[in-house]
Amino acid sequence: MRLSDLLLWLFTAAFFVFMLLPILVVVVISFTSAGYAAFPIPGWSLKWFARIFEYQPFIDSLWVSLELAVVSTVGSCVLGIPAALYLARSRSGWATAVTTFLLSPLSMPMIVIGFASLFFLSALGLGVSFLALAIVHTVICLPYVIRTVTAVYRGISPAYEEAAMILGASRFTTFREVTLPLIRPGIAAGCLFSFLTSFDNLPVSYFFGSAQTNTLPVVMLAYMEHQFDPSIAALSTLQLALAVVALVVADRLYGIEKMTVAT
Amino acid sequence: MSLHAFAARHRRSLLLAPALIFLAVFFVMPLFDNSLRSFTAEEGGFTLARYAAFLTDRFYLGVIVETVVLSAAVAAISVVIAYPVAYVLVRKSGRFSGAIIFMLIAPLLTSIIMRTFGWQVLFARRGLVNQWLVQDLGLLDAPLRWLNTPGLAIAALVHVLVPFAVLSIASVLQGVDRRLEEGALMLGASRWRAFREVTLPLTMDGIGTGAILVFMIANGSFVTLVLLGGGFQTLPLLIYQQFNTTRDFALASTMSTILLVIAVGCLWLQLRLVRRQGV
Repeated sequence: MRLSDLLLWLFTAAFFVFMLLPILVVVVISFTSAGYAAFPIPGWSLKWFARIFEYQPFIDSLWVSLELAVVSTVGSCVLGIPAALYLARSRSGWATAVTTFLLSPLSMPMIVIGFASLFFLSALGLGVSFLALAIVHTVICLPYVIRTVTAVYRGISPAYEEAAMILGASRFTTFREVTLPLIRPGIAAGCLFSFLTSFDNLPVSYFFGSAQTNTLPVVMLAYMEHQFDPSIAALSTLQLALAVVALVVADRLYGIEKMTVAT
Repeated sequence: MSLHAFAARHRRSLLLAPALIFLAVFFVMPLFDNSLRSFTAEEGGFTLARYAAFLTDRFYLGVIVETVVLSAAVAAISVVIAYPVAYVLVRKSGRFSGAIIFMLIAPLLTSIIMRTFGWQVLFARRGLVNQWLVQDLGLLDAPLRWLNTPGLAIAALVHVLVPFAVLSIASVLQGVDRRLEEGALMLGASRWRAFREVTLPLTMDGIGTGAILVFMIANGSFVTLVLLGGGFQTLPLLIYQQFNTTRDFALASTMSTILLVIAVGCLWLQLRLVRRQGV
């Protein structure tokens, strides 16, 4: 191996230590037997996971976050898949401009979207409610579905659909039997990103805090401002486990490389 | 043209209607409404007074400058760190590429709260880093204070955003023909020169898009700065404070609009770069 290659690999290794160390430390601390958050840990225990289930705001907000992630992902699919089907097959300058617009929520500062939406939705009478939160989460999740489905559908030749139509399938049958199975990896990747984005969101959810609409990240932030104990680590570890399981399932079904291409 | 004929001709574009209408109402209107608030005087009517005050006040001007400089620093550091990693991923990793992609994506799946918690533990006064430096390596006599320093806050921001830079650069590097570099080598260029004069210029667009992406996200982030401190005064932090304590919503709207203008500028730059790539 050349010296330059060795240096490159050493740098990459150091990079991943930097990337993974803060995360691994939190995972280890979630299993600590100590009453405080410090590393290395004196012994192993599961008591901080038990603590999560004793602290009611964690459980309540976990349900809010899960429901919210499901609702905004379904909403993003209903709105986004039809748009993606149109955009992937059209090359006009107008379609490019529309795509840019539909993806633009990704580029706007979340704190501005959250702050502005709170006032706007309050003026509409929605105020701080689950519905209001679901609407804003759909705004920030929609681009992921559109982007992944457009990317996958664009890579599929129109010949399959044309063949089905020539063989006498109706528009709807063609969609159900040909198009839908072909774009499924894109939908899956879009749903995955959408779900994780909503579940993890703090800058937008923060503005819609109330007993009924506090999401898990909002409650965790509030908890951290007063206490620094390993229950936050335990919660984070659970959250990470959920995300990794989702990623591994998506990888088994469709391949991780294909999904990163789709982004 | 009858309504029927119009509908028939534009039936396919109706597919766009739900998403377009939804975003027009729940994305564009709130931002518009927010900007409007910053231009509306307290007794009603149009005013530019808030912007005039903002752009002439030394403190607020400093805030804008600090926001932009901090984001630019984070973007620059991220790109410099990301390039070698992207190069290894695309050119050297071979069968390890799946593992590298997984390690890149895994941190993206963790919450900002989790990472911040990790930093707080590692860099606590009696944390692992101080213990290494003082006891194990003996480099220092007394533990250092890391938390609430600007350096640690910047490191934490880079930690959150650098994967985006790696992915941007890797995707452009993937499209660069290896044979161009090999040709330069065959013609007698050193490996460093072949990289500097062939590969690097060809991946400038990846560096550009990566840097803009990181800059854009850094510009709006505040959770890391709220939790890790560092003494920064940036626009998102001030909006957060206005919302929580001072509750001058018109001023917060003014700051949001300025932040929005910067974001739109970045988006425009990014589009120009992407278009040049012909994607």
